[in-house]
Amino acid sequence: MTAPQLASTPVRRGLSSLRSSVLMATLRIIVVYMAALLLQLTIFVDVRVVGVAPELPALIAVLAGLLVGAQAGSFIAFGAGLMWDVYLPTPLGLAAVSFALVAFGLGSITEELFHDTRIQTGLLVFAGTAASVAVYAVLGEVVGQRGLVDDDLLKIVLVSSAFNALLSLVVAPAMRWAAWGGRSRDPSADSPRAEARIGRR
Amino acid sequence: MAVAQRSGRSRYRLILLILTAVTLLTLDFRGYGPLETAQSRVRDILEPVVSAVDVVLGPVAEVWTVMFSYNDLRSENEQLRAEIDSLRSADLRAAAQQDTLDRLLEATGVTYVDDIEQITASVLRDSVGNFDDDVVSIDVGHRDGVAPGMAVVTAAGLVGRVETVDTSRSTVTMISNPNLVIGVRLIETGDVGLGHGMAGEPTKFVVDTGLRWPETGDLSELPGIGSAVVTAAGSRYPANIPVGRVASVEPAEAGLVQLVTVDLAADVDDLGYVTVLSQVPVDEAPVGPDSPFPEQSP
Repeated sequence: MTAPQLASTPVRRGLSSLRSSVLMATLRIIVVYMAALLLQLTIFVDVRVVGVAPELPALIAVLAGLLVGAQAGSFIAFGAGLMWDVYLPTPLGLAAVSFALVAFGLGSITEELFHDTRIQTGLLVFAGTAASVAVYAVLGEVVGQRGLVDDDLLKIVLVSSAFNALLSLVVAPAMRWAAWGGRSRDPSADSPRAEARIGRR
Repeated sequence: MAVAQRSGRSRYRLILLILTAVTLLTLDFRGYGPLETAQSRVRDILEPVVSAVDVVLGPVAEVWTVMFSYNDLRSENEQLRAEIDSLRSADLRAAAQQDTLDRLLEATGVTYVDDIEQITASVLRDSVGNFDDDVVSIDVGHRDGVAPGMAVVTAAGLVGRVETVDTSRSTVTMISNPNLVIGVRLIETGDVGLGHGMAGEPTKFVVDTGLRWPETGDLSELPGIGSAVVTAAGSRYPANIPVGRVASVEPAEAGLVQLVTVDLAADVDDLGYVTVLSQVPVDEAPVGPDSPFPEQSP
């Protein structure tokens, strides 16, 4: 066996392991998202508070930003929004871009923060959902959809955000499992500071 | 250095996502066929799963409805009883009004969709999100001959337009949706104009384009309150489908145009069954100099 071959074997194994863990995480996130979408399309057509349903696709997008960071989170959020767009009467891409922007913003802002307690996660989900719904409505009006920004918008923002914050008690652990499997995540593992630390070594 | 590179890469990827979304939005606005087909296929694939989950979770939703809507149902029941009493006493008056409308329609040569094939459908689901109150799903699709743009009616009149069509399901945008523009004719004056639903007012419709305020100032040229409004010939939909009755007429745009508010004929809030009029829709409303519908308000 040559020297390069010897060196490349552990690297190959590492890459292969990384690929399979990313693939598994992707599959788990798809499973969690589809479950959320099915609930949104069935039970939450009827189960509403003052006529407002939770925004489960937005909840998944927000949690993706919080749990996997701005970069990967914005991609997951974009996919979640795109799938949700298929069922919405608004143009394709509207929810996708709204969710991606919020997940990116939320992921960037909270990258250095711990949000491991339920209350912290709930508050961040409330803020993230509110931002997602508001951005969706405003962008919708910008592209010519009438009736998105009206008297009901504040009610929809507040109730759906509160609903999502409550549901995050169940959905956040599911998303943690989907994103990280059985492993516990070091909250600063992929932060810029952590990378800087790695860079100095 | 690593931090700057990472931050730059993140921004680059976000810009890539935004550009993708803008591309999709543009294609969607232009009615790009393959995109619509792809969306339809995705819904078709998921529909059996959605239906199965709906059946399994149906009882949960019913329990929720019973728990939180009992008082609403009781007051609605009382209201309906009062309305039945009122209708009994107004039966003769209603018959007279119907007779007047029939004679008016006969006089103007109108028939309400006699020669168009009709497809009866039941309403499956109301809105799935928080911003689509004016969209419902019905249980007919491609295989039943439904196509996007077809008019959806009830015995009372126009209720909406078929928006997306899957194999066995379709979505209908209700007439109360402010984005759905409809060409209408005011039977009393014969004027035609463009109208749309009013946000937050599911029983109202406003005609705000194409109706000039009488230059002479003669108010008798305005449509009377309670006069009938129907779909116009040359609109996207079959002509003479009842839309509603005039509720008010006001001047708008410095007194140059009429703003006609219409009470919708059909109740779009609680639909059980609807009828799709199987007439190939006109893709674009004929707007322009040769059309009854002007491009802009004067």
